Amino acid sequence: MQNKLQRHRYLLALVPFALIVLVFELVPLCTVVLRSFLPEGQFGFTLAHYADIFSKKLYRDAVLNSVLIALFSSIIGIVLAFFGAGAACRAGAGTRRVFMSVLNMTSNFAGIPLAFAYIILLGGSGVLVLLGKQLGVAALAGYNVYSFSGLLLIYVYFQVPVATILLIPSFDALHKEWRESVSLLGGGSVVYWLRVGIPVLLPSLLGTLSILFSNAIAAYATAYALLGGNFSLLPIRISEQFAGDVVQHKEFGSALAVVLMLLMVAAAAINAHILKKNTKEGL
Amino acid sequence: MQSHKKSAGPVVVIALFLAYLLLPLLLTFLYSAFTQWTELLPQGFTLRYYAEAFADTAFLISVLRTVAISILPVLISILAMLLVMYVVVVYHPGWEGVVQVLCTIPYALQGIILAISVLSLYSGLPLPFSNRILMLTGTYCVLVLPYVYRGIRNSLNTIRADRLIEAAELLGAGKLQAYLRVIVPNLRSGITVSALLGMAVLFGDFVVVNIIGGSYYETAQMHLYKILFRSGQLSSAVIVVLFAVTLLISGAVFYQTGKGKRS
Repeated sequence: MQNKLQRHRYLLALVPFALIVLVFELVPLCTVVLRSFLPEGQFGFTLAHYADIFSKKLYRDAVLNSVLIALFSSIIGIVLAFFGAGAACRAGAGTRRVFMSVLNMTSNFAGIPLAFAYIILLGGSGVLVLLGKQLGVAALAGYNVYSFSGLLLIYVYFQVPVATILLIPSFDALHKEWRESVSLLGGGSVVYWLRVGIPVLLPSLLGTLSILFSNAIAAYATAYALLGGNFSLLPIRISEQFAGDVVQHKEFGSALAVVLMLLMVAAAAINAHILKKNTKEGL
Repeated sequence: MQSHKKSAGPVVVIALFLAYLLLPLLLTFLYSAFTQWTELLPQGFTLRYYAEAFADTAFLISVLRTVAISILPVLISILAMLLVMYVVVVYHPGWEGVVQVLCTIPYALQGIILAISVLSLYSGLPLPFSNRILMLTGTYCVLVLPYVYRGIRNSLNTIRADRLIEAAELLGAGKLQAYLRVIVPNLRSGITVSALLGMAVLFGDFVVVNIIGGSYYETAQMHLYKILFRSGQLSSAVIVVLFAVTLLISGAVFYQTGKGKRS
């Protein structure tokens, strides 16, 4: 017995990790999922919180806005990144190094500082707004950054560096000979990208898209700083349910959090599905 | 002509990207260094907003708080990860899958869900469970796990840990001794990178600290949010200072990974 204990003593090394993961990750997450089915303030089982999310306009809007802004910002971000990564691969080593450093640097510029920078740029007396007034460009002069499109613009900004950094290695993996083969066979640049480039890049494009979507849909600080509670987004509505000092709606908030998790899982699953279908067709 | 066209295209695209990406940064910096910006160009260069920021004790204390809460959880996570990897590398390589999943969950879920999960579970309980700083530290430990795991895993991939341990055992070392004396020193660059990445993540965190820390633990990001609409120039000075720190940390990551690749 003594011997057996001694032999398994090394398992003690698992204790700190297990403790951290159980106490601050697994148990809290399971509790949130379970709590989302509890009636407020009592025991039982209910789906009422989920029904509320989709029947009350405030929360339905939050889900809708979050999905739309995550989807749009990811798609715009990845299209821009596509050109950026393509350029990075064809640029000289020096240009590429500068580009990479700036991408790395700006990928750190997010949250409240980013929201503030866009307020300076496009807020009521923002630089571009002043410029728009002087030049008589109405679209700039009257631009309202505290809106869906303003928020979208900011989200795109933080998606671009992340997406470009993630795509550059896959662009590096495209063989030059493929392009030459296509042009030998009489195909131009468009044919090359449609028939060879994009299909080869598809797994990384989809993987990146999924990361961008999750990033955007769970983003909180930027929207919080720009719009406070005046714009309905899922992460903001979730935090409100727990932030109240007097009243908290833990059960309802948990249901909102589960919806957010499901959306992220759904995005990943759709990606995996498209990818699977495509590789099957390709074979 | 063809080759000229080839080299000019990417440069133009990259130049556009640089302008787009750097504009907000540049504006924030200019905003912090001029007294007035009501015309098209800013007027009155000054550093007084930086002086003001550094004279503000509340800001300085918040920075100290941020530094403390960015370092401690990272250290705890690294320690825990090194211990788990001891079991995985030496005894049960098959368990790594579980560790990997547990370390990926926080990355997939991100701050908001982790924060409300922890807060909603422990906030109603008696002390010490409902201690906000404890909750914050624990959540931060979990938040940096993906980075810590990645860094240490990547370093482990570059060495043959099993062989090294066998060799050390042949020389008379115990398993634990072999791990601590031979393997861990070889992981130094991975540990450094993950520590820096983790610190950068925590240094810039707002969502977790805003939800869990609330007014109990005001970090620099919380302080920034508080002053954000009070004075534009002061806020941008604070942003520039905080961003400079983030750059120092991520520059160190860049340097460290570059060094690892070269050697």
